[in-house]
Amino acid sequence: MSEEMGTISIPQRLIRAIEERLPLTDFASADEYAAFVIGEVLAGLQEDESTVPDQEFSAEDEEKVKARLRALGYLD
Amino acid sequence: MIVVLAIDALEHTLVESFSCRNLMQQFHGRTDISEFSEPRTMVLWSSFATAQNREEQVLALGDAGMWDFSIPHAETFFSWFDDPVVIDLPGYSYDLAQHARERALLKEFFDAEGREEKESVRAEYNRTAFSHHRTIRAKFAQALNEDHDFVLGYFSAVDVLGHLNFGNRTMMRMLYTEMDEIAGSIASPLLVLSDHGMEAVGPFGDHSGYGFWSTGDTDLDTPRITEFADYIRKQKEQKA
Repeated sequence: MSEEMGTISIPQRLIRAIEERLPLTDFASADEYAAFVIGEVLAGLQEDESTVPDQEFSAEDEEKVKARLRALGYLD
Repeated sequence: MIVVLAIDALEHTLVESFSCRNLMQQFHGRTDISEFSEPRTMVLWSSFATAQNREEQVLALGDAGMWDFSIPHAETFFSWFDDPVVIDLPGYSYDLAQHARERALLKEFFDAEGREEKESVRAEYNRTAFSHHRTIRAKFAQALNEDHDFVLGYFSAVDVLGHLNFGNRTMMRMLYTEMDEIAGSIASPLLVLSDHGMEAVGPFGDHSGYGFWSTGDTDLDTPRITEFADYIRKQKEQKA
């Protein structure tokens, strides 16, 4: 694999959890396992975001929430 | 050490739907804040800290003065303890500059014209809230590692971020997971509570008419926010 690689830090408890799972998988290392899982999660999020339209800032919602935030003391 | 994890706007329905087991502990439910005219942050936390309904006193200060309100230590139940730490609690140890900045950005968002400008302001608002959250998390972790008899950490990110991002389910899930991890890291007897929850107004968030509570040992049913001091008193007596 000639893909450019980088380094991120994750909690030791996650590394231990990955290492426990490795014998049950085809992955050769915790790096490969983590890269796969993160890629899958990101792909899922991108799919969600492409199928669920961004919530527009409708004028009606804005006015409603502004009125509520004034009542709560956040806005004057 | 008695620990209180005070999470502004923690919403009961999301704690359950995101399966936040550490936040739910053994017993959890909703609080009764029906005695208050509105679920106002400063009113609710002041009432929690003093075990008295402080709405009239706080509202008399007006919207501007309300945010700078600070209750004398002797009037709070924190004064029962020899060495309490209370981090960023509204009406007691609130970081006035930080939260004033948040409110200023909130106003800037609604004053902004056009989607692009609003997104830019919202991004700055979110960065400000996340940065403060990291600061509070570190302070809380440090206090838990020291020898105090009472530690309260107040976390505002769920409320601050929720007002402009409640419709962003990914962000909300991340926040609730984060708070669940924090709860899971606490070994001491723990009370988790919120002043109110949050409900959707389009993509935005408004305060809901109930808060969240949980304990590891007692079913409190539907307590009023002024009744938690009594629970804390009993915890203290058990330790004596």
